[in-house]
Amino acid sequence: MAKPKVAFYWCASCGGCEEAIVDLNEDILKVVELVDIVFWPCAMDFKYQDVRNMKDNEITVAFINGAIRTDEQEEMANLLRKKSQLVIAFGACSHMGGIPGLANFWDKETIFESSYGKDCPSVDNPDNIVPLTISSVPEGELKLPAFHNTVKSLDQVIDVDYYIPGCSPAPYLTMKAIGAILAGELPKKGTVLAPEKSLCDVCERNETKPEKMSLTKIKRISEVIADPEKCFLAEGIICLGPVTIAGCTNEGSGRCITANMPCRGCYGPPPKITDVGVKMISALASIIGLEGEENMSEEEVEQLMSQIEDPAGYFYRFSLPKSLLRRKRMN
Amino acid sequence: MQERIGVFVCKCSTNIGNKIDVDSIVSDVSNIENVVTAKSHNVLCSNEGLEFLMNEIREGNLSRMVIAACTPKMYEQRFMNVCEASGLNPYLFQMTNIREQVAWVTPDKDLATEKAKTLCLAAINRISFQESIEKKEIEVQPDVLVIGGGVAGIEATLTLTSRGRKIILVEEDDDSGTPELKQSAQFRKVYLVEKSPCIAGFSGRFEEVYQTMECAPCMLAPELQEVLQKDNVETLTYSEVEEIVGSFGNFTVKIRRKARYVSEEACIGCNACFEPCPVEVMNQNNLGLSKRKAIYIPYAGALPNVPVIDKENCLHLNGKECNACEQACAFGAINFEDKEQIIERNVGAIILAIGSKLSDPTQYPQFGYGKFDNVLSAIQIERLNATNGPTGGKILLKNGQEPKSIAFIYCVGRKEIGYCSGICCMYMSALAQHVKEKLPDVKIYSFYTDLCLPKKEHQRIFEKVLNKGVEFIRSDGSEYVDSDGKQLIVKYKIESSKKSQLIDMVVLAPPIEPNQDIEKLAKLLEIPLDENGFFSEEHILMKPYAAPLEGVFIAGTCQGPKDIGDSVSQASAAAGKILSKLMLGEKLELEPIVAEIDEEICCGCNICIGLCPFSAINRDSERNIAIIDDTLCRGCGTCVAACPSGATKARNFTLEQISAEIREVAK
Repeated sequence: MAKPKVAFYWCASCGGCEEAIVDLNEDILKVVELVDIVFWPCAMDFKYQDVRNMKDNEITVAFINGAIRTDEQEEMANLLRKKSQLVIAFGACSHMGGIPGLANFWDKETIFESSYGKDCPSVDNPDNIVPLTISSVPEGELKLPAFHNTVKSLDQVIDVDYYIPGCSPAPYLTMKAIGAILAGELPKKGTVLAPEKSLCDVCERNETKPEKMSLTKIKRISEVIADPEKCFLAEGIICLGPVTIAGCTNEGSGRCITANMPCRGCYGPPPKITDVGVKMISALASIIGLEGEENMSEEEVEQLMSQIEDPAGYFYRFSLPKSLLRRKRMN
Repeated sequence: MQERIGVFVCKCSTNIGNKIDVDSIVSDVSNIENVVTAKSHNVLCSNEGLEFLMNEIREGNLSRMVIAACTPKMYEQRFMNVCEASGLNPYLFQMTNIREQVAWVTPDKDLATEKAKTLCLAAINRISFQESIEKKEIEVQPDVLVIGGGVAGIEATLTLTSRGRKIILVEEDDDSGTPELKQSAQFRKVYLVEKSPCIAGFSGRFEEVYQTMECAPCMLAPELQEVLQKDNVETLTYSEVEEIVGSFGNFTVKIRRKARYVSEEACIGCNACFEPCPVEVMNQNNLGLSKRKAIYIPYAGALPNVPVIDKENCLHLNGKECNACEQACAFGAINFEDKEQIIERNVGAIILAIGSKLSDPTQYPQFGYGKFDNVLSAIQIERLNATNGPTGGKILLKNGQEPKSIAFIYCVGRKEIGYCSGICCMYMSALAQHVKEKLPDVKIYSFYTDLCLPKKEHQRIFEKVLNKGVEFIRSDGSEYVDSDGKQLIVKYKIESSKKSQLIDMVVLAPPIEPNQDIEKLAKLLEIPLDENGFFSEEHILMKPYAAPLEGVFIAGTCQGPKDIGDSVSQASAAAGKILSKLMLGEKLELEPIVAEIDEEICCGCNICIGLCPFSAINRDSERNIAIIDDTLCRGCGTCVAACPSGATKARNFTLEQISAEIREVAK
């Protein structure tokens, strides 16, 4: 019997998810024994035409990482969907829009202005040249994929079967997912293939937390040396652990926590949460200034809350396109 | 299973019927998936309408029901009862308001119909996500906590414990098999918590109280004794309530019992311990008019007649060598090792009767209180007048001589605080009368701006005082007190002409203010205070005896200034309400709309725990999750909003249900 066919593709991403595949280390050999990799532009020489030539559903599973930001990415996502039995959104950008999704606080015009405009300190561009979809040169016409105003998660463009979360996904989760696909033991469509409970569940610092959580001072991790044993949140350092599923490590407190950094939320929320930012803001607002709250004036409350720098960026770091907001409304 | 939804639109006679095209709504919604029946009715809340619903539910074998009618505040419960009677779980029923929110406010019939239809569709969308909820019952706790041992607290305690309930048990006789009747009785227990070392409150200090001019300690003594001797009353003096959790029928209360250092069981009240005590301090119970020892009773005749050792001033308790009282006590009642205790009690209802206080007249510096000798507050002259007071009932100036003239100044601070205390005119009149009886030659001037004499006896008492030669001077409220070094001078104005009067003694009637503990209790119970800082009533006219929290009642002057009679009435009313609501041996239905935690999702982040206003959430450290005690939860939803992992859900108000509703309306 022919081996199952697997495709890997990247869209708007940093390349870390490709690294995450390479990070399977010797396990990748086990994978190759069991499947045929039919498409992986980052590592091997394939052409788009090779995919176009395939029959529909010929690929068993396509792992697509990165958000969707250009025409080309959208086209390839649709093509792979057509040719694959299963599509897995691989990594935070594909799952929720990820870091590229923060571009949704801007639009094409403002992004080009900041990247190519006269105020960009690293660019000398007196002729104000910006990327165009079609540009005419003496040799003929040049085409670039169109750049969209809005970054989207993969499931906002095509139907997605499963998600492997993370920036980047932990190799053990990838191996588990591949194992489950090959064994035909997959959960309900749409499932995030990771634990359902939030990070606090496995965090070793959770025990240090007081029963009554109450914050008055918010500290940025860059301003303090965090106690390596205490709960970040209880110390006033915003940690998205409570609103982010565990799974970034197979054991222990999680990758960032172990490195004495608060959770930034790349694994996304537990199943019932639709908007990470709203939920974390709601949780934080509940515990900030809990003592004597009823005696506070509007200004005092405002002052407490204004300690949080760049709240939109902080709370939607990985999930803006998938949030209720989706993007900033531009005039 | 396929759902079978019934939708019923009420015309509310012409109220809805004339303003909304009900039939078009019915015909539109009947095409919706799973809607098996959609009908209109003229008056759903009528007996005929309720019967119609019952038939529809039964014959249509409905699994869910939507009613579009008036506000759920009117008849939701009635419709829920119909569901229950027809075998449909009442939480699989949703009501939408197309009368107050549509028919009455949207004059255009097409717009109103459109809007009502949208609301119906939203409710139909929501109903699919509703879940059946089973009600739970708990054994009702019939015992009552009364906070405050003044007249109101005493009256409430006695009313509550006046009757028990006879219980008849039928048991089979083992030998003959004939049933045997056994009778026993169950009594309600009252825990009476009083902050000070003795009960009787403020009123117990007054020699003669209006309207009867009776001696208050004598009038109260039998009641106080009854309270202290009753088996089903536990009087906890020198104690304060520290924590209250739970709800009507099931409160758990923590009471801090301060160390008294004298055993209430062993002490016989012989007072032999006072004399040998070498420490003397000002007696605040006589308002600083006399001294007391470090072991003392607040005033002669205070009940329970057991002294207390003041740990701030006692030499022994401050590491010095002294055990004079211990040696003097023939009954071994002194216990320097006594420790503060936390006592826990379960009760079904709470009466707040913590009283009030007279405000400190130094807040109104124009009257020279605290600056000049012989400027007294009304309560101080009450103590001078009392035979158990510092002068044994003699009205004396600071230098020990009798005053020849006294000025009574009414309405001190009334303008500043913004309310009339309502009882000062009467007690000042009564005081003037006592003083006049004791010192027939004294000249009394009463300075007032307005008189408040509302009750049937008041006018008569006032006239009696007037006839006794007390001179009433109506000033414009700008009185102030000065001194020429020998005598006091009251300066005042009548119709803008300045006047003054030399005087030996000035008596002030400052306003009645809330007690300092009121805020703490309000916070413990999460109940509101009014703009003057007294407890708010559930309804000032209809329910002046109840706080706006089920199972919590208010009595006496903690609700607002009032006299003894009114305090007693209010206390009786509160106790009566409890007797009628909290029946011995009854079951209590728990609020079914509470929050619940999905243990598969909860990560034990603790964010919800400190937020719960009802202390209903605890941490299960073993399983690293939060758990909700559904006997304490009142379904406010605070934890649901805060839960960052979405583990907490508010029953009947889930995200799915609300989103389904909004999705339809926002289409």
